[in-house]
Amino acid sequence: MVLRRLLRKRWVLGVVFALSLIYFLTSTLKQSYTRLQEERTFGDRTLLELRDSDHHIRWKVRFNLGNSSRPAAQCRNSIQGKALLTDELGYVCERKDLLVNGCCNVNAPNSQQYICKSCLANGCCSIYEYCVSCCLQPDKRALLERFLNQAAKGFKNLFTAVEDHFELCLAKCRTSSQVSTRLAGVHLGCVWITEASAFNVHLIFLLFLQSVQHENTYRNSQAKYCYGESPPELLPV
Amino acid sequence: FISTALRSSDAANWRIVPRKNPASDYPSDFEVVQIRQATRNSLFTLQDHPYIKRVTPQRKVFRSLKFTDGEYPRAPCNDGRWTQKWQSWQSSRPLRRTSLSLGSGFWHATGRHSSRRLLRAIPRHVAQILQADVLWQMGHTGSGVKVAVFDTGLSEKHPHFKNVKERTNWTNEKTLDDGLGHGTFVAGVIASMRECQGFAPDSELHIFRVFTNNQVSYTSWFLDAFNYAILKKIDVLNLSIGGPDFMDHPFVDKVWELTANRVIMVSAIGNDGPLYGTLNNPADQMDVIGVGGIDFEDNIARFSSRGMTTWELPGGYGRVKPDIVTYGSGVRGSGMKEGCRSLSGTSVASPVVAGAVTLLASTVQNRELVNPASMKQALIASARRLPGVNMFEQGHGKLDLLKAYQILNSYHPQASLSPSYIDLTECPYMWPYCSQPIYYGGMPTIVNVTILNGMGVTGRIVDKPIWQPYLPQNGDHIDVAISYSPVLWPWAGYLAVSISVAKKAASWEGIAQGHVMVTVASPAQNDSEAGGELTSTVKLPVKVKIIPTPPRSKRVLWDQYHNLRYPPGYFPRDNLRMKNDPLDWNGDHIHTNFRDMYQHLRSMGYFVEVLGAPITCFDASQYGTLLMVDSEEEYFPEEVTKLRRDIDNGLSLIIFSDWYNTSVMRKVKFYDENTRQWWMPDTGGANVPALNDLISVWGMAFSDGLYEGDFTMADHDMYYASGCSIARFPEDGIVIGQALKDQGLEVLKQETMVVDNVPILGLYQTPSEGAGRIALYGDSNCIDDSHRQKDCFWLLDALLQYTSYSMMPSSLTHSKSRVPPPTATDHPLPQRLEGNHLYRYSKVLESHLGDHKPRPLPACPHLSWAKPQPLNETAPSNLWKHQKLLSVDLDKVVLPNARSYRPQVRPLSPGESEAWDIPGGIMPGRYNQEVGQTIPVFAFLGAMVVLSFFVVQLTKAKSKPKRRKPRVKRPLYLQQQQQQQHTY
Repeated sequence: MVLRRLLRKRWVLGVVFALSLIYFLTSTLKQSYTRLQEERTFGDRTLLELRDSDHHIRWKVRFNLGNSSRPAAQCRNSIQGKALLTDELGYVCERKDLLVNGCCNVNAPNSQQYICKSCLANGCCSIYEYCVSCCLQPDKRALLERFLNQAAKGFKNLFTAVEDHFELCLAKCRTSSQVSTRLAGVHLGCVWITEASAFNVHLIFLLFLQSVQHENTYRNSQAKYCYGESPPELLPV
Repeated sequence: FISTALRSSDAANWRIVPRKNPASDYPSDFEVVQIRQATRNSLFTLQDHPYIKRVTPQRKVFRSLKFTDGEYPRAPCNDGRWTQKWQSWQSSRPLRRTSLSLGSGFWHATGRHSSRRLLRAIPRHVAQILQADVLWQMGHTGSGVKVAVFDTGLSEKHPHFKNVKERTNWTNEKTLDDGLGHGTFVAGVIASMRECQGFAPDSELHIFRVFTNNQVSYTSWFLDAFNYAILKKIDVLNLSIGGPDFMDHPFVDKVWELTANRVIMVSAIGNDGPLYGTLNNPADQMDVIGVGGIDFEDNIARFSSRGMTTWELPGGYGRVKPDIVTYGSGVRGSGMKEGCRSLSGTSVASPVVAGAVTLLASTVQNRELVNPASMKQALIASARRLPGVNMFEQGHGKLDLLKAYQILNSYHPQASLSPSYIDLTECPYMWPYCSQPIYYGGMPTIVNVTILNGMGVTGRIVDKPIWQPYLPQNGDHIDVAISYSPVLWPWAGYLAVSISVAKKAASWEGIAQGHVMVTVASPAQNDSEAGGELTSTVKLPVKVKIIPTPPRSKRVLWDQYHNLRYPPGYFPRDNLRMKNDPLDWNGDHIHTNFRDMYQHLRSMGYFVEVLGAPITCFDASQYGTLLMVDSEEEYFPEEVTKLRRDIDNGLSLIIFSDWYNTSVMRKVKFYDENTRQWWMPDTGGANVPALNDLISVWGMAFSDGLYEGDFTMADHDMYYASGCSIARFPEDGIVIGQALKDQGLEVLKQETMVVDNVPILGLYQTPSEGAGRIALYGDSNCIDDSHRQKDCFWLLDALLQYTSYSMMPSSLTHSKSRVPPPTATDHPLPQRLEGNHLYRYSKVLESHLGDHKPRPLPACPHLSWAKPQPLNETAPSNLWKHQKLLSVDLDKVVLPNARSYRPQVRPLSPGESEAWDIPGGIMPGRYNQEVGQTIPVFAFLGAMVVLSFFVVQLTKAKSKPKRRKPRVKRPLYLQQQQQQQHTY
């Protein structure tokens, strides 16, 4: 009976209510906080994009030390090459001249650093490994920074995940949507087109001073690996 | 400057359509402009503007999901898009790259094994059937392996997935969620952790959304997404998407780049079966694991694409694909929001293998050993061969997860071959090789073997492959020529073995054996000093059956050289009614879409060989009949001359032509005023003008008529599907005519008219002494497997009887439908469509200042025979059993708990089937975790109940005093009312 009477008192009820409210708030907040954290780490790339629109690449601070005989304990390299490889120090070497640590043997006769062989003035090369090596040249830094500040927005998925100069060059030199002509950049829904024909609305493409190529052909099949800002020059068919 | 350009015309209403894609931040050389008024004038103004190179209509590149034939229409836009029926069939560039799954309903409708339908309909857990639980019990659940799913996305909070590391969108739709269910299903088969269990629930999922809900996707999206996958160091990538365009160079190069970066790529072989020659890219690439589908009774699923690859035609021979097959019919996987659903298609089979590969990769201690080649080698070597199915349908057989586990865990880097031996006598596995023995004077038989190199991404063949015939087994009776990739990159290369009979065995019959030795070297990655190489030597046993050269009359030569197809160009379908599938892309080879015809000719005792070179490159005295079917290519002048001479010397010719109607093509061209860059067919069904040049010397020609219809000829029901008629024929020839519908008129004016006595078949004996015969027929659809409605193999028999043996089929000569041979005045001859781009794809034409002229005749292919190094050895009787991976000790890797026998097919009662949906507590840890997460929820709910109780109590207490108030107010209210009544 005492307990019952006690429960009927307002202040007791108020305390019970307050306690449960506090518990409720803390637990929900905690949940949402962990979810937020999860999203930060595992989350969707689009969310990330919105958040750090001014993302800047963490530049690998490394200067060319003259002879560049600097030994590295372990190198990353470009892995994929048919005959050549580029290591993260910018050396291009034949596969047989690759050391166990992944670096090029700098003493091998064919190993060269920061070599722009096969590269054109517009920053497009016909051999991927030379493109990476050329892109790793310290003086390309300004160009790359400019690219990251402007053009890279279109490739945000890719370039926000890039961690340093080497990864940037590996990624930048790969053929991308830049390289194949994007004739069909915009998908126009079917309804649009039906309406279009009905109301005599024409959707047209203008190509300025350049020739048409399919989405399934390279703009320039010779020099298609580009570290520069501009897409490869279109080759006439 | 567009605005200035347009100001001069009176187009007031136009705007630049903003392009929302990653490339829009770059300076662009084109702009999409939408014009609403005075369109034509503005267009001309724009075209005339000096800064504008070209004006093209906006076009959509189409890669539709081949999700279900019924459920999701393949090209939903097309039907409503163009009002005219005959234009809709090519209103989009079709089937570029499609997703490869079928609706669950599709398979059940096929009617094959109909008595077992119930069994098949029972959903099964594919991971358990493949005994993934054995590996789960050993603690392998795919952890630490990064799997990329390139598909239609995945919704964020799908209950089946616990380790979705990242979702990215590469499409132009602003969502990451799956609107179709395809991507969710695929991801579920790989990594679902509950209900319908996937293979590797602990693997790290990376979801790449590259396909929109409208089933659109572009090469450029794939390029960027693949780059991201490389950067993220993905281990396994599943692509349940494919298309026929293996000449999409940016895409193919990118796939090579991907595998070169150690991404194991698994892809669906396609849903275009049971037709042969229908393999999809990228699954048909050497560095990709191409997966075909089977049902739960180990039959090859009807939809599974099959046949050799067609990249190598016409000169070479295709590679064996798919690599392996696995369950792809009625497999259960995750539903779009929750729960499970069952789905069919090679789209389903591909993630089964991708999941298995993920699980397998996580079992290997030294991950360095896992690469695209070694994984493929392990899958291939462990695959269980299905009986009675040839290698162009099943590849190496059915996926065997546990055996693959054993092999992979005792693997050391080496090279291997696919197929691992050449036994041209083994039927049916080595079909079509086993279907026709070889003989002296025949075209060399080519076997295109794939070298897989697990030692490194790049490799080379040391010296040259060596041919070692076994003297006791008549190995010296064959000559062997070998060509191979100069560099094996990435992870693979080809080894083409051409086999021919030596002259001394011209009249010999028997079996000859030997082997080819190949040594592969790769730069060593882990060698202590630079410059080291790993080498691996593999032996390719060869066994062939030789017969004496058959007589000339029995030998038929199939002209492959003059067949062109998609890709690279747009070559339209031979049957104009097939609007869903407007492309001619199956290769037109006797072992692809003319397979039934080949089988029929073999059963009739004919020997069929393939000419992959110009007509100048064969010895006509060896052959009775040259068979030219549906040729799209032009002819070298030398070929025309040579054929004329050959026929004078006794060679006969049969031509199955097809439609070439310039009016229809002009109609198409008119429609194509908007899209002329893209949608002009470069020939009709066949290249009739070129054929007419070839046969004009005998006074023959095909017309540009376009006819269609059913008829009866010599007591056989026939269907003429978009064929032409004969326009000219010599007076002493025999011509058969039929009443057919004028399809040209139907296409052009939507009118139906039946034309009587359309000449469709002609037989002619050329006049000179000992000269050959010529037979013409206007339609090739009745011997082509694709879209064939009624076959006419009987007609082919009759024609061959005539050409080979000069026996005039009486059923034809005495037929009522004989008509007088048409003369020149009846029909104008078709001319080549002006402005066609055939020269771009032709091996014969080249463009000379706008004029198309024949190129110089190429040299005939010449094989350099390998110098034999005879061995005094005998081969084992069963070549297959001895050819597995080298020095893989299966006993070393023991499977704990390996159940001796698990029934592969278990009929279930409907009630029991639910038991399959509840996993048997495979990952107990996770369930605990789940419970831990739910505790706060329960506490919160409890608190809410308590709270609401008190709230109710409080309101009860408060409501008591309120009750009195109405009593007080009532009289007042009444008084007021009374007062109001008085006033009114």
